[in-house]
Amino acid sequence: MTATTLSIPARTTRPAGRVTFPRAVLAEWIKFRTVRSTVWTLVATVVVMVGISVLAAWGTTTNAVDAGSGSMNIAQLLSAGYQLAQLAVAVLGVLTVTGEYSTGMIRSTLAAVPRRTPVLAAKALVLAVVVLVVSVVSMGLSYLATMPWHDQLHATFDLTDPVTVRMTVGLPLYLMAISLFAFAVGALLRHSAGALTAVIALLLVVENVLMLIPLRFVELMSPFLPSTAGRRVLFDAETLSATDAMTNGAHLTPWEGYGVLLAWVLVLVTTAGWLLRRRDA
Amino acid sequence: MIEATGLTKRYGPTTAVDHMSFTVQPGRVTGFLGPNGAGKSTTMRMIVGLDRPTHGTVTVNGHRYAEHRAPLHEVGALLDAKAVHTGRSARNHLRAMAATHGISTKRVDEVIEMTGLGSVADKRVGGFSLGMGQRLGIASAMLGDPQTLILDEPVNGLDPEGVLWVRNLTKYLAGQGRTVFLSSHLMSEMALTADHIIVVGRGRVLADAPVADVVAGAQGSSVRVRSPQAGRLEELLRRAGAGVTTTEPGLLEVTGSSAEQIGDTAAAAGLPLHELTPVSSSLEDAYLQLTADEVEYHSSTLDPTLSGADAPTTESALR
Repeated sequence: MTATTLSIPARTTRPAGRVTFPRAVLAEWIKFRTVRSTVWTLVATVVVMVGISVLAAWGTTTNAVDAGSGSMNIAQLLSAGYQLAQLAVAVLGVLTVTGEYSTGMIRSTLAAVPRRTPVLAAKALVLAVVVLVVSVVSMGLSYLATMPWHDQLHATFDLTDPVTVRMTVGLPLYLMAISLFAFAVGALLRHSAGALTAVIALLLVVENVLMLIPLRFVELMSPFLPSTAGRRVLFDAETLSATDAMTNGAHLTPWEGYGVLLAWVLVLVTTAGWLLRRRDA
Repeated sequence: MIEATGLTKRYGPTTAVDHMSFTVQPGRVTGFLGPNGAGKSTTMRMIVGLDRPTHGTVTVNGHRYAEHRAPLHEVGALLDAKAVHTGRSARNHLRAMAATHGISTKRVDEVIEMTGLGSVADKRVGGFSLGMGQRLGIASAMLGDPQTLILDEPVNGLDPEGVLWVRNLTKYLAGQGRTVFLSSHLMSEMALTADHIIVVGRGRVLADAPVADVVAGAQGSSVRVRSPQAGRLEELLRRAGAGVTTTEPGLLEVTGSSAEQIGDTAAAAGLPLHELTPVSSSLEDAYLQLTADEVEYHSSTLDPTLSGADAPTTESALR
C-alpha cells in the first residue's frame, strides 16, 4: 500500500515542486469552483442582473409617462440591477475567505503556503477575475434580454459617448471592487455571519442613512464611504447632478469616486494581509 | 529532524507551552504523550507555523517551517481532521492542496488509494465520519511524500483495522529513515507504536527517552510476595531498606528490592514463599507517575496519585 513511498531517502532527486504564486492561484481557483455556494452565488448574480434589467425595460415601457421626452441609454438599463448584484458579489467575497475559517480549511491552506500573503493575493485575484467575467457576461445577457423593448424606449448604446463607455466599463469594475471590499472585511473579521452583517449593513443601511443626516461632520464624510463614492461611476450625468443637489459634502467626479472605493479596498486588504501574517491561524 | 529550543506559547495569562526543548530524530517513531491541556497540539501547531511562539524557536530540517520553499515536501502534518472545507469533495481538497506545489493528480490518486478513501473520494467531506476524516488528513500529510510527518492523535476515531494501519504505516515510514512525530493520549497505543517518547505536562517536558527507559525509570517496579509468614518477612525486608506495603493478609508489595534479593532473604531466614512475582511497571504507570502533579484537570472521583502508585488492573490489561 505504500509502494509509492519506497524511494524516498534520496531526496535530492525530487522534482522542485516549490510553492509559486501561479500555483497558489491555481489552488485557489480549484477551491473556488469546487464549492457549491460560490457557484450558486454566481448564478444568483447573473439572474438578478438580467432579471432586473428586463423588469426595468418592461416597466419603463408600460408606465412610461415621459417615454417621449428622449432616448434612453442602454448602459443605464444594463446596470439597473447593481444594488442587488453588489449584495450577491459581497456575499461571494465574504464567503471566499470566511468559509475557510468556519470549516478549519484555513489551517490546511496556510500549512501549504506558510508565507500566507500569497494566499490572500491569490484569493483576491481569483475573486476579482471571476466577478469581472460574470459581470460582463451578465451585461451581455441583459442586453440581449432587453432587446425586445429597445425600439420602444428609443434606447441607444453609443460607445463613442464617453459617459456611456464609463457607465459600461464601470459596472464590472464597481462590482469587482465591492466583492474585494467584502473579501477584505471577511479576512479581517474571519467570521461569516459577522462579516456578512457588517458589509450588508454598510452597503444597504449605513451609507444611505448617513447621506440624510444633516450634521456637518457626516456630510463631509459621507461622500467618501465606499459604495457612495464608488457607485458614481455607474451614474449618468442626470443622476450625478440629482445626487449632488441632495448632498452638501464633496462632489467627486465618477472616477475620483471609484478611486476612493479602490483606496478603501487597498487599505483593508493590506491590513488583512498584515494581520494574516501576525495572527495565529 | 525537528528541533525545539525554549519553545514558549502564552495565551494571555495562560502558558500553554513553557520553555520546551526537544529534538525529534529521524528513523524512529517519536511519541508525544501528555494529558489534555499539556500543550501537545499547540506545540505541533507551532512546528508547522500556524501558531507563532511567544518565545523560542522550532525548526524542521534546520529551517523554520515558513522558510521552506516547498513545505509539503518537507513536512506532512495531520493537526486536525476537520481542517477541510465541508462543502468540497476529498479529491478536490487534495487537488487544491497538491496544486500549491505542482504535485500531479496521479499522486493525488495514489494517496487516495493508499488511505483507502477510493469509494468516498468524490463525496463531500461534510458527510465524512471521524475515521474517514482522519484518513483524509493522513492522505493530505502524505501528499508531498515528506521526510517529516507530524500526526496529532492520528488514531482518534479509527476502527481497529485503521488503528493497525496507522501503526504499521508510521513504523514503515520511520523505517525508511523519516522523522515521525505523533501524539496520542492512548498510552497503550504509544507503547506499541513509538520507539521514543516525549512526555509533557502543563507545557513542560517531563521525560524524553526511549520507551523502555521511561518504563524502567518508573518507581512503580515492584515484586509481589505471598508468604504464610508475611509479617516476619516484612520486618526483614524493611530492615534491608526495601519499601513494603500490605494490601491483604499474607501478601506484600515490595519496592526497592529485586526478586532475587527477596528470595535469598527468605531462604536465609527459613521462611516459606508461596509467590514471588516481579511486577514491571507499564508505560501507563510511568506516565501517570510522571504527570500526576501536572495534569490540569484532575478527576474528582479518582485520585491520580493513587492510581499511579498501584494500578495493577490497568497495568495487566495493557500487557
